[in-house]
Amino acid sequence: MITRSQRSIRGVVLAAALAILAAGCLPAPATEEAQQVTTLYGVFVAIAAVIALIVFGLATWAILRHRQKPGDPLPDQSHGSLRVEFIWTAIPVLIILGLFAGTLAVLGRVDAHNPNPGVELRVEAFRWGWTFSYPGSGVSVTGITPDGPEAVLPVGEPIKIVVASHDVIHAFFVPVFLFKRDAIPGRESAFDVTIDEPGTYRGQCAEFCGIYHSRMPFSIRAVSRAEFDQWLASQPRASPPAEGSPVASP
Amino acid sequence: MTAADTPIGPAGASGAVRGERGDLLTWLTTTDHKRIGILYLVASFGFFLVGGLLALGMRAELTVPGLQFVDEQTYDQAFTMHGTIMMFLFGTPMVAAFANYLVPLQVGAADMVFPRLNALSFWLFLFGGVIVLSGYLAVGGAADVGWTGYVPNSELHFSTTTGTDLWIVGLALTGVATILGAINFTATIYGRRAPGMSMLRMPMFCWNILVASILILFAFPALTGALAMLLFDRRFGASFFDPSEGGDPVLWQHLFWFFGHPEVYILALPFFGIISEVIPVFSRKPLFGYRAMVFATIFIGAYSMSVWAHHMFTTAAINLPFFALSSFIIAVPTGIKIFNWVGTMFRGKLTFPTPMLFATGFIYLFVIGGITGVIVASPPLDFHFQDTYFVVAHLHNVLVGGSVFGIFAGVYFWFPKITGRRLDERLGKLHFWSWLVGFILTFLPQYQLGADGMPRRYPDYAANPGWTELNAISTVGSLLLGLGMIPFLAAVVLALRRPPDQGNDPWEANSLEWWTTSPPPHHNFTSLPPIRSERPVFDARESRR
Repeated sequence: MITRSQRSIRGVVLAAALAILAAGCLPAPATEEAQQVTTLYGVFVAIAAVIALIVFGLATWAILRHRQKPGDPLPDQSHGSLRVEFIWTAIPVLIILGLFAGTLAVLGRVDAHNPNPGVELRVEAFRWGWTFSYPGSGVSVTGITPDGPEAVLPVGEPIKIVVASHDVIHAFFVPVFLFKRDAIPGRESAFDVTIDEPGTYRGQCAEFCGIYHSRMPFSIRAVSRAEFDQWLASQPRASPPAEGSPVASP
Repeated sequence: MTAADTPIGPAGASGAVRGERGDLLTWLTTTDHKRIGILYLVASFGFFLVGGLLALGMRAELTVPGLQFVDEQTYDQAFTMHGTIMMFLFGTPMVAAFANYLVPLQVGAADMVFPRLNALSFWLFLFGGVIVLSGYLAVGGAADVGWTGYVPNSELHFSTTTGTDLWIVGLALTGVATILGAINFTATIYGRRAPGMSMLRMPMFCWNILVASILILFAFPALTGALAMLLFDRRFGASFFDPSEGGDPVLWQHLFWFFGHPEVYILALPFFGIISEVIPVFSRKPLFGYRAMVFATIFIGAYSMSVWAHHMFTTAAINLPFFALSSFIIAVPTGIKIFNWVGTMFRGKLTFPTPMLFATGFIYLFVIGGITGVIVASPPLDFHFQDTYFVVAHLHNVLVGGSVFGIFAGVYFWFPKITGRRLDERLGKLHFWSWLVGFILTFLPQYQLGADGMPRRYPDYAANPGWTELNAISTVGSLLLGLGMIPFLAAVVLALRRPPDQGNDPWEANSLEWWTTSPPPHHNFTSLPPIRSERPVFDARESRR
């Protein structure tokens, strides 16, 4: 026979497996903001696992233990219980208020704008590619090669990224940033990231934009400040105004 | 089974309906709510098979990286038509199918309040659907803009095919059909309830249809308006959504999701209603917390009008905390429903014929869909998951694991009422288990793919570590879902070849449709039992024991 503790251990293992199976693990975060998102996600998944364990446990218990056997009389015709309804209304309300508080805290960090960003990167999306430029420097990278263009950015300082589009809606998505932002024609929007780790990170378009939507890769190469300055100085620069067709002003 | 031995309610009279079958003209001109319900059921199921084949085609393409079977254009049309068909030509009319057949029977009425309007709404839906599909005959092919049709990508400059115009016009027609149906259901529920059936004695299915109908009346006009604006942009030189002419692409998203999120509940509530009918019958208990369920249904309906912009978190054009909180809050009444279903099963006397299997499967799968819904309702998390396979997995968890499982629970449950015949239990169990396993294999790996950052609407993807394996598992699962339809279709064909043998109340059920014959006569009832609770047929059966 299985003891009660064995059964509860099995339950916990099952719930953990289910939570991972169902919700999935995030990629290792590459920015300070993404670390906060990872923590928040961990909290959500943990609470989700507990709730799923409770519901699945109760339902499975009922399925296994409350079967009708031949000749059984009608069960107790209970119409419900106000007390129980109150409990399973109040507890979820408290849980979602907690999740909302956590969301607000992380949102405040992810959505924050530093008034003095170390670098500004301008991202202009078009069908089907990207132009990365560094305002004020005259440096601009456009690429529609199989691997797309590469933006070089320094680690360890806030970077302001401004996103815009020339034609339809695209979305600038770097999975290890755990972040994406829509590039909407006629609007510009900005966000900050602070990259932790040097490395090359792939990105892609995430909003359906027509036939070659899946062929808009790009990459972000994060390097030290010194390497970044060196790279920027070595780039050919267009005489202003910078190359590229104009973006509709907001 | 046992109920066939103890018939209650009037006997006979079913011959009248069967005698008329085979006369095509009577089907084309019918205003009988039951026949219109059957027409809706068959037509939307036909669209379901088309949409399902498109999904299998997409899964085949995604099995391994690279383009093997289709090019980008074909793939874009496939996911556009798959989403459009499943939402507008299968899900929404399936609500009308069940509501048409069941609402008059459950409230003890002879027919709907407006029978001819009812027929009109079916034919508008059918021809609207055919117009949407006819895009495949257009020179440029079917619509290729996604079921959400985001502008400016759906403007003529970017989507040049006439298929997109046919998509707009066809959807506008089906939208009008849906609105007419909702008017009819609302009027029938308010105006045709049998003596004794107060609102709080009404079956939960009717409550859900009432709330879904009111949602339709609010939501669908927004869609119709948005589609008209898009058509004007494309063909008549308007620029509602064109930023270079002062229009706003974000306006489309507001209009679309102002319809689109209530639509999710329009596609969920009626099937919640089916689950609320099926679980008490096979638990031999009343629904746990009937009034709480009514309250939760109304609350979900009201709140679903204020969550639409959670589809737009990544636009940076909306108030994030407001839409996050309202989206979180709607999880509470949804949770109440799930707890009440489990509470109904608890200490019941459970049996598991096929309808109950699908209803139980629904609970497990819907819980996962609900929980992942709370995850994507948090903007910082959604910034990562938006437009990835995580969202694909979540929405299918809700709409397939939820709504479609509910639909199958309902089909197996009411098939004896509609046809007088039972669907074979062994085939039904084969159907259920292949769908449960198929669902898990298809959609759970997609959560991981989405967490890894695999975007949706890609015909091809990078061979990142694990992606090929996860995609291959997902494709195998989808194959299982496809094969699972074979036992279901076989069960339907086999059942229809047998003579009708079901009594009035084969499941020992609760609501009024089980009082009359299977199938019911033309005007449904020759008598009604006294209605003193939400379970009049149960009360009548018990008082005879």
